[in-house]
Amino acid sequence: MAGTEARHVIELVDVLKRYQSGEETVDALKGVDFHADRGEMVTIIGPSGSGKSTMLNMIGLLDSPTSGTVRLEGKDVTEFSEDELTEERRNGIGFVFQDFHLLPMLTAVENVELPSMWDTSVDRHERAIDLLERVGLGNRLDHTPRQLSGGQQQRVAIARALVNEPDIVLADEPTGNLDQDTGRTILDELTRLKEEENIAIVCVTHDEQLMEYSDRVVNLVDGVIQE
Amino acid sequence: MSIEEWLWRFPSALMAWRNLGRNRARTALAALGIVIGVVAIASLGMAGASIQYSTNQELGGLANQVTITAGEDNPERALTESQVREIRSLVTDADVVPQKTGVTTIDAEGESDRVSVTGVTQASALYDTQVGEVPDQLRSGALVSASVADEFGLELGDPIEYGGQLYRIRGILEAQQGFGGGASVVLPVSALSEQEYYSTVTVVAEDGAAAEVVADRIETQVNGREEILSVTTLASVQESINSLTNTLNLALIGIGSISLVVAAVSILNVMLMSTIERRGEIGVLRAVGIRRGEVLRMILTEAGFLGVIGGVVGAVAALGVGLLLNQVLFNDPTLVFEWASMRYLLFGFVFAVVASLLSGLYPAWKAANERPVETLRG
Repeated sequence: MAGTEARHVIELVDVLKRYQSGEETVDALKGVDFHADRGEMVTIIGPSGSGKSTMLNMIGLLDSPTSGTVRLEGKDVTEFSEDELTEERRNGIGFVFQDFHLLPMLTAVENVELPSMWDTSVDRHERAIDLLERVGLGNRLDHTPRQLSGGQQQRVAIARALVNEPDIVLADEPTGNLDQDTGRTILDELTRLKEEENIAIVCVTHDEQLMEYSDRVVNLVDGVIQE
Repeated sequence: MSIEEWLWRFPSALMAWRNLGRNRARTALAALGIVIGVVAIASLGMAGASIQYSTNQELGGLANQVTITAGEDNPERALTESQVREIRSLVTDADVVPQKTGVTTIDAEGESDRVSVTGVTQASALYDTQVGEVPDQLRSGALVSASVADEFGLELGDPIEYGGQLYRIRGILEAQQGFGGGASVVLPVSALSEQEYYSTVTVVAEDGAAAEVVADRIETQVNGREEILSVTTLASVQESINSLTNTLNLALIGIGSISLVVAAVSILNVMLMSTIERRGEIGVLRAVGIRRGEVLRMILTEAGFLGVIGGVVGAVAALGVGLLLNQVLFNDPTLVFEWASMRYLLFGFVFAVVASLLSGLYPAWKAANERPVETLRG
């Protein structure tokens, strides 16, 4: 009964991704089915080379599958052009990276506003300040990344991921460059914000600790999801 | 409102400004290349304008004159009253100055020499004095050239003898610019009344072009098949000198442009390097939803800023060079503010900005079109 079925925030259906390198063709993803819903944190684990990053790129609309279907909020985005995908990313998806990837010449609040910077239709300044206050950086608004610790930088990055009120936040090893305690506080923040903002969070990690926070863990081995 | 607050309304400009601020030494060096290019192009242009100005100065006093003498077929070998009247009737918009010429001997301080004498009434149309004054109508007294005054030690009030009459010197003429032709002694035309006819009629027109028109008109109206009057003008000489200096100017600017092209290539290099260094960062921008066009604009704005900064500093420096040049050559630094010079500053500035933007185009396009998934993986 398709009509009553809850719509997934993100959905991959039978996604195959084939890379051509020289003579060799490599199938990084071999028919993957995946979905995530609002209010849940899904963690993708797997050994390196298993296709985790490729899968995250598919979910993040950074790359298109060779075959299969990608749906964002029930909308088929598989055939979208790069410009259309950019639009979807801007409005619907937040990113948190292992290396934080804040722009060094912008202050904390400017970094948070970055995704909407060119957008004259909305002013995200108030929301950026609000988000930074909620992650405990209300007194660091005008600090540059260099003046912040790793944990603080990652919290700025989380605020940046949320500034455009996305449906889903993707985190690529969000605790990978942080010590255990800092990693724990970051995961606490993420979990809390997931509830507050009612979003889906998809993480890719090696970190055992992260799995404690997950509602669901997906194990990817060799481009195939193991149940 | 601070610059930063103002820039916030132009995100591309804000980002570009901050990016340039990240590596000030590199930014300064890239801009320096542009500064040198603008100084080269504008200084050479202004030098050319100065050459043009000074040749015009040399010729300027004469190019607007038409000199009319008796032609080959003139029975009198001189210009009659009626011919002068005819010239006057043809030339309504310029001064017509008939002259008689003679020769006299001056004796002073033991020196004795023969000098040419010009008899003219409207002396002020032809001559300027360095000492004393030229009356509109020369009815009495005499004017002598600086070289004659020098040679014979003559001063204002000294007498000059001609045709048994004495004339008091009331003015010493400015050294004649350009080609010879200057009078040694100028007397009222009445002094040469023993001559019936005029030797020369000079028409002083507004400028070289007007002189050409007058010359043509006299040539066609008076001279039929016979050359009654010989009409000469320096306007055509000036024209060819002008075209020569124009060519020289173009060559100078061409040389200057090369240095600006070199500067543009160095901007291309700097922008390419900095966008390659920032690949990951640009990938993040693209990932979080910044459009390709916005990345393109940001990097293009960086290149544009380099051009504007270099262009402004270069134009100011070139203005200094121009002031110095005009001070040294003409003793008048303000000549640089003439449009003939100023336009090279404008040209240098515009060239700098355009060249920088063109240099930024490829790096900007390249950065904007890289796929974020590749750049993020680094």
